[in-house]
Amino acid sequence: MDGLVYDIIVAAGFGLFGAVLFSLVGLVSGTDETATIAPITLLVVLLGAPPAGIFSFWMAAAVSKHMTHAVPTALLGIPGDTMATPLLQDATTLRNLGVPHIALRKMISGAVIAAFVSLPLAVAFALVLAPFGQTITQAAPWLFLGAAVLIAYSSAGRFASVAALVPFVVIILALQALTGQYNVKLGVSYFLGIAIGPLIADLFTVLSPAERKRMHRDNLRQFALAPDVKSWGGYFPNPFKVLDRKQAQWTAGAAGITSATFVFSPVAMAVIMGELVGSRIKHAYHRITSVLAVRNGVTESTYIAEALIPLIAFGLPLSPVAAGPAAPLFNAPPRFTIDTATGTVNNLHTMLTPLEFLGYGLIAVVLAALVAYPFAMNYARGAAAFVSRNISHEAIVSTFVGLALVIGLWEGGFLGVLVVTVMGLVGGLLYRILNFNPGVQFMGYYTAVLTAPALIRLFS
Amino acid sequence: MGHRTLGTPASSPPGSAALPASDYDLVEVWNDVVDTRHLLWSVIIGAVISVGTFLIAERILASVVDTPAIAKAYAMLAGVLGCIVSGVVSALLFPPKRVVIESTNDDAWRDQIMRDLAENPNTTMSERDLDPAVIREMEELGLRKLFASYGDGGANAPAQRKE
Repeated sequence: MDGLVYDIIVAAGFGLFGAVLFSLVGLVSGTDETATIAPITLLVVLLGAPPAGIFSFWMAAAVSKHMTHAVPTALLGIPGDTMATPLLQDATTLRNLGVPHIALRKMISGAVIAAFVSLPLAVAFALVLAPFGQTITQAAPWLFLGAAVLIAYSSAGRFASVAALVPFVVIILALQALTGQYNVKLGVSYFLGIAIGPLIADLFTVLSPAERKRMHRDNLRQFALAPDVKSWGGYFPNPFKVLDRKQAQWTAGAAGITSATFVFSPVAMAVIMGELVGSRIKHAYHRITSVLAVRNGVTESTYIAEALIPLIAFGLPLSPVAAGPAAPLFNAPPRFTIDTATGTVNNLHTMLTPLEFLGYGLIAVVLAALVAYPFAMNYARGAAAFVSRNISHEAIVSTFVGLALVIGLWEGGFLGVLVVTVMGLVGGLLYRILNFNPGVQFMGYYTAVLTAPALIRLFS
Repeated sequence: MGHRTLGTPASSPPGSAALPASDYDLVEVWNDVVDTRHLLWSVIIGAVISVGTFLIAERILASVVDTPAIAKAYAMLAGVLGCIVSGVVSALLFPPKRVVIESTNDDAWRDQIMRDLAENPNTTMSERDLDPAVIREMEELGLRKLFASYGDGGANAPAQRKE
């Protein structure tokens, strides 16, 4: 029992760390979840945190960031990250009505309820799928090819993304061959390059005079910050009082259904479920607030399901979230590896039982609900104002440039830095021009690592 | 007081709309606005502090810690702390290129939104079939009268206004 008690304490400690850290990160508008959660989780893995700690860290981080990214979305009218985009219109409507705090509270109360509903359901769905694990693992190279094409097609780039997969995979293979000549094998550097590609591409383009003209802005960026009204006593709000009974039911129902969908994007599911619920509500105000609660609940539940179902059932990153923000839970060489040639998976999938996933996941969700939820409900306005007034974007650029260089140097010396730069520039430009987004690029990486060797074996 | 360090534009009354920001050379990078010179310095600061910390830590730890893999992992941790330090330094040196306006509820915006909502054929402004809890919520927010005034068809549209 001592071992269990120790693991629970470790899970709670790392969960608390993740919840606090990413409650703050979420406030910085426009911080992409893949660019922030993936590299930090990677660090936690590589620095040797115990499996229970890694999982609860990631889970608490994801749920907390999802809560606080609603703050810039609702109060400043700019999406906290890509998942917040389907909520922007309704949130802006409430902001113009002078009640942006209501948008925020409906959103994150929906998210709290959804997180608690979807965690046990996602574990249950994973158990249903688990018996097919062995077959799935053997077919992994082809599944990844299929998933890459599917995820590419469902991205905004459509066929451009599907077509771009081929040269993109070739670039990765070429870089692997290059570093292989010096006996350097890289993994993390590719990830990091893809994750912060948009930044690297922008730093290159701003050096080009013609492009700089296009990026030029005449004015400072303007934000209108709305006033706040607090409507409950004490520190801890009750989500079931913030949402009315119908909204809580709709949110829980939608979260339950979408806990089973682990291959579609959270944004797509949020749009669909929002329309479904919205069409059943006639009154304009009630419809807006209900749709906000449901949509934010659905991005939460889909996110959890997309990470947990492939992780628990197969140990293979077969969904956009698993291949993106949750990627280090699957693959973080040298500690976590996926080898399809031998069919061996060595990551959290093999280190934790489904019951442990459920237990440590629950600890993480509770911590996020205790840290991020009341924080966002109580201090949203002050926090948003502090960040926009005091943390310059240059400071964030500085941090991530440093991170790219340190991780590159650490993994592969000068070659590592080169790989981060090449992947970032190519990936970032393809994203901007073709909408070949980082999620698709991660799948491209897996295709290069897993499918390409199988293809070559097939034809030799 | 916030930032009174280098680069603060001389001609910028706080809170005024659409600042010309003549002292800055503004560009949009990674979804936000930065000044090109500040950007260059922030990249240099990020590179020098983070890489410097990492290389120094690697050198020191290699001689102190027995296991090379662990020494390397801790060197990376030191490098990551260096990244955060470089972020703090840049935040202290370079002010944000944003203007935050305390918005007052603008009636023009609200009327526009209410007209749009009233015109949507799929929704109604009428309280018929509406849960008492929702009506209470709208009452508390001062929105009940506003929505009712745009009620079915919006015949007597902006007649009433909440205070």
